[in-house]
Amino acid sequence: MAAYALRRLAALVPLVFGVTAITFALLVLAPGDPVTFLIPPEQRGAADLAAMRHELGLDRPLPVQYVSMMRDLVTGRLRSFGDRRPTLARVGEALPVTLILTAASMALTLALAIPIALVAALRPYSLVDHGATLFSLLGISLPSFWFGLGLIYVFTEQLAWLPATGIRPTGATGYNPLVIAPYLLMPTIVQALSILPVMVRYARSSLLDQLAQEYVRVARSKGLRERTILRRHIARNALVPVVTVTALLVPFLLSGSVVVETTFALPGLGQLAVNAALARDYPIVLTTTAIAGVLVVAGNLAADIGYFYLDPRIRDG
Amino acid sequence: MDSRAPSTPERQPRTGRRGPWHRFARNPRALAGAALLAAFFGVALAAPRLAPYPADAPHLLATLHPPDRAYLLGTDNLGRDILSRVLAASRVTLAIGILSMLVSLVAGILIGALAGYAGGQVDAALMRLTDVVLAVPVFFLTVAFLALFGPSIPGLICIIGLTAWPPTARLVRAEVLALRHRDFVSAATAVGASGGRIIVRHLLPNVVAVIAISATLRVGLAILTEAGLSFLGLGVQPPAPSWGNIIADGRAYLGIAWWVSCFPGLCIFLAVMAFNLVGDGLRDAFDPRLVV
Repeated sequence: MAAYALRRLAALVPLVFGVTAITFALLVLAPGDPVTFLIPPEQRGAADLAAMRHELGLDRPLPVQYVSMMRDLVTGRLRSFGDRRPTLARVGEALPVTLILTAASMALTLALAIPIALVAALRPYSLVDHGATLFSLLGISLPSFWFGLGLIYVFTEQLAWLPATGIRPTGATGYNPLVIAPYLLMPTIVQALSILPVMVRYARSSLLDQLAQEYVRVARSKGLRERTILRRHIARNALVPVVTVTALLVPFLLSGSVVVETTFALPGLGQLAVNAALARDYPIVLTTTAIAGVLVVAGNLAADIGYFYLDPRIRDG
Repeated sequence: MDSRAPSTPERQPRTGRRGPWHRFARNPRALAGAALLAAFFGVALAAPRLAPYPADAPHLLATLHPPDRAYLLGTDNLGRDILSRVLAASRVTLAIGILSMLVSLVAGILIGALAGYAGGQVDAALMRLTDVVLAVPVFFLTVAFLALFGPSIPGLICIIGLTAWPPTARLVRAEVLALRHRDFVSAATAVGASGGRIIVRHLLPNVVAVIAISATLRVGLAILTEAGLSFLGLGVQPPAPSWGNIIADGRAYLGIAWWVSCFPGLCIFLAVMAFNLVGDGLRDAFDPRLVV
């Protein structure tokens, strides 16, 4: 198991490297000098700018800058251009918000998608199945931020049931589930709805595939109850593609979190990335994209481990 | 008729009365989508004639005016008529959606056809690249790009297009792989046709249906991406209207003026749905097994 996980992990290292290299290339190709964003206009003497550039290491050759930025990033010495705090500390504050939101929306999606897909697959082309198809169409066509604003309009502005912004009341700290739940409810629904159609579609077709297999007919002719066939025979096989899609949807959810966190003013990774990019805070931009890459890799790894448990052919071979 | 195994491989299969277009025309959802799409394009083309006011004319005595006869969809905080802005934005949004789809199509076809036809190391390298782009949360890179280089409409078209090509590349590669050992390709090789000529003249025409289906669905996604970026302030820049940035304008006034954000969002929703309905309809008509 450990060897398998390590091998999969090693295969994914180039991805993180690729993402940071692309980000660094964007940073150095971008027009404008980050230094001018950091010094107020009245202090911008040529000497001041040069000194600042030297202090930030921006006067060194590009490959040196990249390698040293990456080394500092990994060792935690890379600091924000803005408040000069370590980038990992800044990301560390934002990351739990995004992780909780992503995990909650994935859990909600699976909790809804599997029963819907099951009903749709057991009665293909029935009213429920057509309903699920129509619902999918609406779901993939809906702009998430607009849906989010709609929820805010109804549940915050009109009914005053839920808070619209932030992750917790002002003054509170930590991630006590009872305290943050009202704040996360609407963002979680928005994120879940954005991926629910894809999940239902895959789960439905995977279930239909399995239901048509010979082993199902054998199990039925043995006289097994439908419930037993579903739980003991079909579920495991049908779950493998669902696990794949779950991993594929992680980058999608992370991308979505940029917009959703802005809609609900959640202080997560997405919002940090947008603000840092607008402020030319190169180290933060590099760190957020690298961490997003790491999260994707982690999602893939989790899927690989999922296969490992679900499919003995992978485990033993 | 099976569009993957045409009997006359050099050209698209003849679509007779019982062909795919017939199936498309008998599918009510596809027709509804096509009608909606035609309406959007018609309105976008006629937008300057239909708009009751100039898109950026401030009516200072009627700020945040609710929808009524004078302002059918209300006005925003600067007193600009929402209907006029939504109409002007429809041109911007549809143009960005279609042009960025074309960018992703060109990139996807080039990469997919090259990978499928060349095979070997080239194929492996290109598909690895495709996997990376698919796996990366591209929105982070998109946001970084637009913030660093400054948001502009050409920049928006390029970045949306250049991050959306992998699915097209995979489709084209799969189709080319399936076709490249067929007799008509060997025949073309035997008479001395170059690789580029074989791809352009013999392989791509057989992939047109698949590409068209994927392209239709991609426009919807591109519109959603543009709207999200404009909402973040990184897309179309005010005062130029786009559906996404009108929604952003209305965000601060949600409690007192719902109409500012509501109507442009409805347009995005309906336009994306129209593209999805037409794309699904084309897929069902031409190639039901296709997963796009």
